[in-house]
Amino acid sequence: MSTPADVFASSPDVTLAPADERDTLVLSMGPQHPSTHGVLQVMLRLDGETVLAAEPEIGYLHTGIEKQAENLMWQQAVTVVDRADYLAPLSNSLCYVLAAERLLGITDRIPLRANVLRVMFAELTRIASHLVWLGTHAMDLGAQSIFMYAFEMRERILEIMEFVTGARMHQSWFRIGGLAIDVPAGFLEKIGALLDAFPERLRDMRAILEENIIIKDRLIGVGKLSAEESIAWGLTGPALRAAGVRYDVRKAFPYSGYETYDFDVPTHAGGDCYARFVVRLNEMHEAWRIIKQAAEKFPGGPVVIDDRKIVPPPKTEIQHSMEALIHHFKLVSAGFNVPEGHVYQAVESPRGELGLYVTSAGGNKPWRVRWRPASFYNLQALKRMAPGNLIADVVAIIGSLDPVFGEVDR
Amino acid sequence: MPEPSASADQVRPAVYERRSTAELIPQIAAAVGESFLDASSEQDMDELALRPDGLKAAVAALRAAGFGLLLDIGVTDHSPLAPRFEVSYHFLKMAAGSRAGDRTDVSPARFRLRVFPDDANPRVPSLTGSWPNADWPEREAYDLFGIQFDGHPNLRRILMPEDWQGYPLRKDYPLRGFDRRFVPGGRLGAVPPLKES
Repeated sequence: MSTPADVFASSPDVTLAPADERDTLVLSMGPQHPSTHGVLQVMLRLDGETVLAAEPEIGYLHTGIEKQAENLMWQQAVTVVDRADYLAPLSNSLCYVLAAERLLGITDRIPLRANVLRVMFAELTRIASHLVWLGTHAMDLGAQSIFMYAFEMRERILEIMEFVTGARMHQSWFRIGGLAIDVPAGFLEKIGALLDAFPERLRDMRAILEENIIIKDRLIGVGKLSAEESIAWGLTGPALRAAGVRYDVRKAFPYSGYETYDFDVPTHAGGDCYARFVVRLNEMHEAWRIIKQAAEKFPGGPVVIDDRKIVPPPKTEIQHSMEALIHHFKLVSAGFNVPEGHVYQAVESPRGELGLYVTSAGGNKPWRVRWRPASFYNLQALKRMAPGNLIADVVAIIGSLDPVFGEVDR
Repeated sequence: MPEPSASADQVRPAVYERRSTAELIPQIAAAVGESFLDASSEQDMDELALRPDGLKAAVAALRAAGFGLLLDIGVTDHSPLAPRFEVSYHFLKMAAGSRAGDRTDVSPARFRLRVFPDDANPRVPSLTGSWPNADWPEREAYDLFGIQFDGHPNLRRILMPEDWQGYPLRKDYPLRGFDRRFVPGGRLGAVPPLKES
């Protein structure tokens, strides 16, 4: 077993060492601590209530998703990649299908309607994920009621997900070549109702929290990290933008037509927990703007590419055409081969840059699907952020980093 | 419609073109010298393949060229091909305008280094000295693939239990693991793999 000395061997230099080494206490926070949301253990070295060193111990939710993806056919693997970041399943599958499409060389052939719907649902996922963060983060800080506000709104988003895909979570709706099914009739009305209701609810939640003196006292100046250090620790997403660095994958390396939408990248100069709080609130508003634009342009046409070697033919065709039946059988039993190669594809997930480094050996299964999990790197920076703060602040810092352990541990 | 808060900066960067980093390849190739294996421009980014002893020099050249963010360290097991292990490093250069007050036009870019260590004894120098965020991904590469990182201050398992035997993401490690029933005189690695269901 690791001794405490091993655990802290790679922690950043402690500058606050007490006069006497015997005065320090090593405390294991979690994995049952409520603020760690189940599966994070943080080893803390304490001087009284002041944190001298913090070392997150992860792996409690390791499910071997990367290994499983290697053992499923290309299309099947969409179902397991969905399960990594379980609060934003569609961001995961979007990244995976984009990578597979680039290896297949069909990126430019994805129908416009599929791309618009992908963007729309990726942003709905972002709002839903940020709402979970907002509710639980506020609850960690002692604001109990906001949790219900946030989850009520999230529930309405999940209802739309269920209406369209049949599942509230783990939709596996994005497929290599487009979407699994088109949206049902009445979809735009439901989205319209959601878009109408959301700004008011967001305003309510902001009114309760943003200028709240308790929230500000708990968050301002806590877990501060400069822009240089944020880059050195590999932060991405809201955590990086909260340090004043304007980097967003949707702007820097656009995919699925993000370059055609008009949206801003919120940043904040603070670099502390409050800055991350405000950036995420602003991001929800920007996501709402993107969904609104997507709903306005909403083009017609097919939602999958017309390529029988990748996408099975529609059921009606199978009933009449022998060739269609053969294609269907072939795709279901053996899948399709993807040309040899490797590609790094990244999307802006709610937590930051989610990257997949996918290698194909030319077969019908991915040879390797390497995750670049945003929350893995964001959480690692807790080692740098926590020292110097109090134990209670560690709770606020973990919440402000918004880690999802399905993604950290995969 | 909620008011965007005052902190939301309204300046929008233009859509960036993918900027070629091809001019970097000869620089890095010169820096790594003998360790150079290959270089190519892939559809996603430019890349350079090298042996581990040139990694530090390549990384220094990349940092000098503005690649300040280490995105990821991953491993791919190419067995039965040789060399077997590929340790892939992804680096990011952010647009210069991404910092407040700086409006020069530099496109963001990524660059990939593919390091091929020795098959029998896969060792790679650790980057923890220059990039603090190399700590966990290197531990993960050690945990799941058995890659040794020379100079890592705390190279121990991160995702698997501390007493785990074997490296689960290697291609010769069966999907469902090994049969963990007690075999008198046997060792865990010697027992047959569990049958696929």
